[in-house]
Amino acid sequence: MISDDIDHFELMGLPQSFEIDSEKLEDLYQNLSLEMHPDFYGTSTKEKKILSEKSSVMLNAAYSTLREPVSRARYLMSILTRGVSLKKDDLPEDFLQEMFSLQESLDEMLESCDQSALCKMNEDLLKRSNLIQSNFASLFKKLETSPENTETLQQLQKHLNTERYLRRLLDRINSK
Amino acid sequence: MAYSDKVIDHYKDPRNVGSLDKNEKNTGTGLVGAPECGDVMKLQIQVNPDNNQIVDAKFKTFGCGSAIASSSLATEWVKGKSIDEAMSIKNTEIVEELSLPPVKIHCSVLAEDAIKAAISDYKKRSEG
Repeated sequence: MISDDIDHFELMGLPQSFEIDSEKLEDLYQNLSLEMHPDFYGTSTKEKKILSEKSSVMLNAAYSTLREPVSRARYLMSILTRGVSLKKDDLPEDFLQEMFSLQESLDEMLESCDQSALCKMNEDLLKRSNLIQSNFASLFKKLETSPENTETLQQLQKHLNTERYLRRLLDRINSK
Repeated sequence: MAYSDKVIDHYKDPRNVGSLDKNEKNTGTGLVGAPECGDVMKLQIQVNPDNNQIVDAKFKTFGCGSAIASSSLATEWVKGKSIDEAMSIKNTEIVEELSLPPVKIHCSVLAEDAIKAAISDYKKRSEG
């Protein structure tokens, strides 16, 4: 059975790295879910059943966290920054100002149901988000050779913070 | 997670939503953000320069119910206070008033930061 403190990478049997083989992740997930699925423990003891259910929950959490690049990056960051103190809100004031203005414009677009403006904003935000995500692989790679590099960690933190603000706007557009 | 009645009250009926002209004399604007959730909060004050009393306050917050309630409450509390009194408002008082759960404490911190940012902006502008 799986121990509680195992991390998502270990659980899936993948190296602790940002770049992962997505096909391999899918395969591993399929195989492990079959192995752990509570349905296969129908005739087992109650204890075994509970363990199997718990393992399935952990497996699903690991899979959903690792398959998507941003959540994978956030998760890996949380491991890499254990015991490291980073500036959490390292964002320039004009960035916040811009995010605030974008939220206000979005208010107006949503109120007037301005579909073309909403589409345009959605597209722009996605472009920015993708641009940010394109930095992840190389920055995490750098950390593999020098894990104590606070500057790189700080850079990653900044990208992840920025992405969170963009994501909030995107979520608002797409929840309508 | 369930919101407390007070949070719901402020969320449904937020006090002092809006904005003051930030170029107007005797105003101060604080804009703060919480990167862990992507919230952004603007809190503005208008001060009577003769006695340093806050005569008006407005806010606009893009965030969760707790962030909106925290900033709404913050504007209620600062109105009528001197800037020194307002400066001493602690996030823990907001937590207590709104019964915020531990995962939402950062919303109250954001509101406290916004008050302080607005006051320091006012001070900077009134000196300059």
